[in-house]
Amino acid sequence: MRHAASISAGHRVRVVLADASAPFVAFAGLLVGAVVLGSPVLAWASLAGLAGYSLSGST
Amino acid sequence: MLLVFSGALVLGGTLSATVIWLTSGLGRGLQPAWRIGLLAALTIVAVLREFHVLNIALPQNARQIPQEVFAKGPLLGPFQFGFELGTGVRTFVSASLPYVLAAALWLYATDYRIALLVGATFGLGRAAMTAARYWSGAVERGDERLERRITWLPPAALVVGVAAAAMIVASGVLHWRT
Repeated sequence: MRHAASISAGHRVRVVLADASAPFVAFAGLLVGAVVLGSPVLAWASLAGLAGYSLSGST
Repeated sequence: MLLVFSGALVLGGTLSATVIWLTSGLGRGLQPAWRIGLLAALTIVAVLREFHVLNIALPQNARQIPQEVFAKGPLLGPFQFGFELGTGVRTFVSASLPYVLAAALWLYATDYRIALLVGATFGLGRAAMTAARYWSGAVERGDERLERRITWLPPAALVVGVAAAAMIVASGVLHWRT
């Protein structure tokens, strides 16, 4: 039972990672954290992460 | 190999952010109204370009990193490729948000630690897609999804990024702690 639950959780993580928008959601979440915590440092991290991620596909 | 590539992206991003920060005394010396005006003007141009209202070419080193770098070996090849990609000045720059980031850094970074954070996170952002594809175990499916999302990703990143930049500017005006 626990094994099956673990496989299911692992599968879900893989599905999320396979989705190209997952990092976008993570960096946007940093901005939400910045607003909630009133932290400009997190806003810098969100802005920089999104800037890097927006270049996905550019080599 | 992924670790070397990602680490090199972080190093490259940190180098570029440090160089921008080293010259940022000029930007931070401007009157607050000029700083806000410059960043706002650049951001408006970036938004108009990203939503295809303005058709302007971004200043960029429009070249691909030569495949020959991978001939340098399993460690040096990915390192050089990642480092050049991470600097953001050695290859194509297809999105507008990195320019908004560079301007914000030049005008508003008060501390070298912000530059280090920005450079490292920029590199991590560049590494995110490759890492997510690798860990998903579904490289081809990841490529298909990227193909579909590549159309909305730069504008969406720009919109959220502009909100983050607005918060950074507000923090300077309101004197929040950084």
